[in-house]
Amino acid sequence: MTPDQVEENRTIKWQKAAIRSRRRRHWKLAALTIFLSVVSIPILLAYLWMITIAFTAKTGGVETATLWIAASILTPTLIIYAVIHNIEDLPNKRRWGWGLIGVGFAIGVVLLWDEFHLGNFRFMINPNLVEDIRGVATAGGQFPWVWEAFFNSLFLASVQTVIVVTVSSFAGYYLSRFAFTGRSLFLQSLLVLQAFPAITLVIPIFLIVYWVGLVNTIYAPILVITALELPFFIFIMKGFFDAVPWDIEMSAMTDGASRRQAFRMVILPQVRVGLIAVGVFAFIKGWEEYVFVTGLTTGQSYTVMSTYLYYVSEDVMGVDYGIVAAVAVLYLLPALLLYLACQKYLTQMTLGGVKG
Amino acid sequence: MNRQWKNHLDQLIFLGPACLLLAMFLLAPIVVNFLVAFTEMAQTIHFDNFPTTRQFEKLGKLDSDALFGFELRRSFFKALALSGTFVFFTLLFFNLSFALILALTTTAMPERLGSFFRAVWLLPRMSPSVVYGLLWLWVVDSSERGLFNQIWTFFGGETLNLRLDFSMAVIVVSNGLIGASLGMVIFTSAIRSIPIQLFHAARADGAGSFALIRYIILPALRWPISYITIYQALALLVSFEYIFLIMGPARQTMTMAMLSYTKTLAPQIGGGQYAYGAAIALILIVIGIIAALGMWRLTKMDRLLQRPRIEVR
Repeated sequence: MTPDQVEENRTIKWQKAAIRSRRRRHWKLAALTIFLSVVSIPILLAYLWMITIAFTAKTGGVETATLWIAASILTPTLIIYAVIHNIEDLPNKRRWGWGLIGVGFAIGVVLLWDEFHLGNFRFMINPNLVEDIRGVATAGGQFPWVWEAFFNSLFLASVQTVIVVTVSSFAGYYLSRFAFTGRSLFLQSLLVLQAFPAITLVIPIFLIVYWVGLVNTIYAPILVITALELPFFIFIMKGFFDAVPWDIEMSAMTDGASRRQAFRMVILPQVRVGLIAVGVFAFIKGWEEYVFVTGLTTGQSYTVMSTYLYYVSEDVMGVDYGIVAAVAVLYLLPALLLYLACQKYLTQMTLGGVKG
Repeated sequence: MNRQWKNHLDQLIFLGPACLLLAMFLLAPIVVNFLVAFTEMAQTIHFDNFPTTRQFEKLGKLDSDALFGFELRRSFFKALALSGTFVFFTLLFFNLSFALILALTTTAMPERLGSFFRAVWLLPRMSPSVVYGLLWLWVVDSSERGLFNQIWTFFGGETLNLRLDFSMAVIVVSNGLIGASLGMVIFTSAIRSIPIQLFHAARADGAGSFALIRYIILPALRWPISYITIYQALALLVSFEYIFLIMGPARQTMTMAMLSYTKTLAPQIGGGQYAYGAAIALILIVIGIIAALGMWRLTKMDRLLQRPRIEVR
């Protein structure tokens, strides 16, 4: 044997090993993707179903066929989407993904065009839903217009968000920056309160709200939800303030700013991301609230989206799936859009960012 | 204005609103609940016959022959057992196991694909509770229109009434699909915070995927897992919103939290038996306080006092 041949026998065949390892990685990835797709399908299917009902169902029944057409478009789209992401050196992945979603959507529109209609959303322009469905002068004719509920919900969620963001950033800043007597005790009790399941307090909270005269007002749920979420949000904001270096503040103050000016003009812009995260969480919480809205009212003094949807589905359920689904879509949409827009902030939250 | 006075004013401005809100709607209710539990408050809001243990006698009676010195009434014992079953299975299958599986699988794939699946699993948590409840009502609908029955009959099964015949499974799965996402998020960020060199080193030494999970990831997850266990057990024990929205006041799913809620404030069916509800809530509150204190002690939560543990990139 020549020395060259010996050398060749000894060396590991790197090229081959690399190919083998790459192939194995692809298989593993494919298996994981398939597994996750399979377990995620029940969730996606349920939401897809709601949306198809909202846009296709006619009074009196639910066409099941449309769901299966929609599902048979969604599933291949999903699979190809996953495959595209698994191809390593594909340029413009994002463009491919969006293009694919566009194509899937287009096929869906073509196939379901005959079924598609907006009739279920007529509650948006017709102020009197119950009359529309059951004929004039039936029980429960006092049912409000959906926009009233929508703007009540919007009001509740927005005011609550403003209060939560303001109060928690004030408290978080103070706890992060100031030494005062009882600071560690305060922080520790806050920590215990954060872990404490506040929903157990619904009965005494009702009594307190009753005693201070806020029963049947929309301010009751606003204040209560704010208070219950505060310990958690104060900790988030404190974390953000902790991450801002002291030097920034110091230099602002050497330049003649007061403490409060430094807070307002220098520090707050630094924690913008935190304010957004807290704001989004608070808004979604306020938007979805059900227990404290129904619990803190006696009778039907004001309607928000949660109670509106609840009564629509209770009263109209058997008659008209389509309208109920359309109301649900209208209710879900703002929360969903907000969540998708700010998803990158929310899913990155680490420990301490705990909600149960 | 002298300096000290100004400092106090600062404190009042920055901490005052938070303290006021917390005192009014979080601390005061604990005290009020304690007092109300020992009255006969029902329908009207008066402190009748304070103090009385009447409400607790409805839950159980003293009996020197019994194992713990008291014997539970049947309805309350049933609520206790249902609560236990519900918490145990939801926690075991979803909030821990499935959350862990989701975190492990989504972190083992390309970032964008992984976050897509995590977003899907966060969807139920981000949807309004009434919408989620409604979806479930339609999925488990007992007619052939229900989504589950559509699929089930397609494979040749008879239509099932899941709410009636498998009520515990329905509330376990419905709460589990929401609960899994919290563990998923927290475990994911814990896995991400493991230095990548550890994985490279283990790979170079010939470790496979399961060895990585067993010897690197799981040890790093020890404290998040114990945290999630206690936190979620507590959250499930006191939760009633989804159970109420999906099952209504059904007997098969009348857990302790549901019992307390339906006897008092539940819309339309709430009976206004405030003292009775408060007595049950008191038990949950005591468990809550003990667990909250225990969590703080057991899992070294005081680390939070030094180092912030939230980061948003």
